[in-house]
Amino acid sequence: MLVIENLVKKYGSFTAVDKLSLRLDTGDIYGFVGPNGAGKTTTMRIVATLMRATSGTVKVAGIDVAEDPMAVRGKLGYMPDFFGVYDNLKVHEYLDFYGSCYGLSVNERKKRTDELLELVELSDKKDSYVDALSRGMKQRLCLARSLMHNPELLILDEPASGMDPRARIEMKGILKALGSMGKTILISSHILPELAELCTSIGVIEKGRMVYSGRVDDLMSRLTGKTLIRIRVLSDAEKAVRLLREQPRIENITGEANMLELEYTGNEEEMSGLLRLLVTEGIPVVSFTKAEGNIEKVFMEVTKGEDEVLQ
Amino acid sequence: MRMRFYNNPVLSSELKIRMRGWKTALGIISYLGVMVFIAFLYYITFIQSSLDWNRSVNANQQAGISIYTMLAVLQFILILLVTPAQTAGSISSEREKQTLDLLLCTQLSSFGIIIGKLLSSMSHMLLLIVSSLPLFSIIFLFGGVTPGDMIMLFSFYIITAIAVGSIGIFFSTIFKRTVTATVVTYLTMFALGLISIILSAYLMNIYYLHGGSASYVPFPLYINPAAGLANILQNQISGGSGGILGLGTGYQTSFWIYNSITMLVIAGLLVLISIIRINPVNRLFSWKKNS
Ligand SMILES: Nc1ncnc2c1ncn2[C@@H]1O[C@H](COP(=O)(O)OP(=O)(O)OP(=O)(O)O)[C@@H](O)[C@H]1O
Ligand SMILES: [Mg+2]
Repeated sequence: MLVIENLVKKYGSFTAVDKLSLRLDTGDIYGFVGPNGAGKTTTMRIVATLMRATSGTVKVAGIDVAEDPMAVRGKLGYMPDFFGVYDNLKVHEYLDFYGSCYGLSVNERKKRTDELLELVELSDKKDSYVDALSRGMKQRLCLARSLMHNPELLILDEPASGMDPRARIEMKGILKALGSMGKTILISSHILPELAELCTSIGVIEKGRMVYSGRVDDLMSRLTGKTLIRIRVLSDAEKAVRLLREQPRIENITGEANMLELEYTGNEEEMSGLLRLLVTEGIPVVSFTKAEGNIEKVFMEVTKGEDEVLQ
Repeated sequence: MRMRFYNNPVLSSELKIRMRGWKTALGIISYLGVMVFIAFLYYITFIQSSLDWNRSVNANQQAGISIYTMLAVLQFILILLVTPAQTAGSISSEREKQTLDLLLCTQLSSFGIIIGKLLSSMSHMLLLIVSSLPLFSIIFLFGGVTPGDMIMLFSFYIITAIAVGSIGIFFSTIFKRTVTATVVTYLTMFALGLISIILSAYLMNIYYLHGGSASYVPFPLYINPAAGLANILQNQISGGSGGILGLGTGYQTSFWIYNSITMLVIAGLLVLISIIRINPVNRLFSWKKNS
């Protein structure tokens, strides 16, 4: 459905996207994760035919975006990270307008408008003015707008940014529904857990390069066998760190002041041995807890080495 | 996909918004009101006082022609003043409102967007021009001006509006901010007008120095709509003697036509550049392929 090969985008001498490759099959929901400035928006804008690539190819449903952008536009719906709405337009007129920009007939527009307002739960706002909607509602409306021409591929640039937790959950529900309709979706976010739940695959991009790309299941399995331990001491934190460094199966000791965090691959028995060691060495341990490993941690791990390309 | 000219979504949506509510109607009424008021004042202060000692048919005609000229110039100035303000924001304001990308990623062609924007931002002006027709027709009662004269004048108005409007659109695609685009549009118009007059005067001088005596119009006048208007009014009123704006020699009946063509060619070029400029993937005529 979407094939990106060796995509490069340069702004002057600055390389925003560096030899990025990516492949989405029909029905895939691909999460695009990366820190600010990683190149997510740049990549998505190139796919959405709003920008020209410096080199590399992008094909949507087999059509090259550089060769026939008009045909590509008919196949994809794009929701930008920042967008505005026209004042003076009512919700249904707004959708109707964009429908006509895609060349839909009056009847098709009416039908799509009703269907999509239903989908994004804005049916009761049909006659409200667009600029009177809340931010979350505007985002749902913009999503509906990108679906007017029933595209096969959706490019969603942080569709849930600036939404409250409840609205995020609702947005996720809508996206899940779209996924079950068989849409192919490329969605970006800074927040990995949000995507992990929704997506079938994840790509992590940093400084314009894909540092990890794979199925969500594979990513999750990187977690197994690793425990995150949090230790709080009253004092002697330095001594504790020195002691811990000498122990096997410990990685990545981090911490500030009297709070330490470390990754441990041993079992529970060995963990209790670790605690005993600290106590017998006279370290005033206040707490020693096993933190639940989370996907954020994996994300940090995956993205920490810029030059070491995983997988 | 077929995007018909008469079914331009940008145009029809904007027209729908404009026709909603009282603003547009109120605008037209107050515009006509001001025009009527000025015409009336003009009539009683200048024409009555100078003519009523000899009220003949001819005097009535003179009054009619005099009011016609005054209204024609007034409306012309209005077109020059209002059109840039309305067109220079048409693309840049989409950019400021962050709606341009949403428009560009639809299947509406760059051509459709620019033409739709040009027509919709000029629609208000065109509406004012058309709705002033009845006011102008009152002058028929005085005699001296024919419906043909009026059609000529109004065609020239519309061409002038298109020319000025396309300068506005052009700068709207160049500058990110509407304020900049608007200011630069006014400055450009002013500069072009001034340069064309000064250059023409200079060329006239040279022409006389070399003893020229045939019909002659300095070429910089062709870009200046003020010259075209002067020519039209001269044709209609004084029989076209004395050159154009005092800057040509001989009788030039059809100058205004060449003036219109020149302006339309320039407008076409500016629109073409605008179309290319807003196309994000910058492929010349890529809209043609699918229409
Ligand atoms: N028009 C531009 N001109 C110059 N540099 C740009 C331009 N647009 C983006 N960049 C640079 O390209 C890099 C990638 O930007 P991009 O917006 O794609 O990142 P992103 O992953 O979407 O970030 P965010 O999470 O903040 O949205 C950034 O370093 C940015 O400064
Ligand atoms: Mg971004």
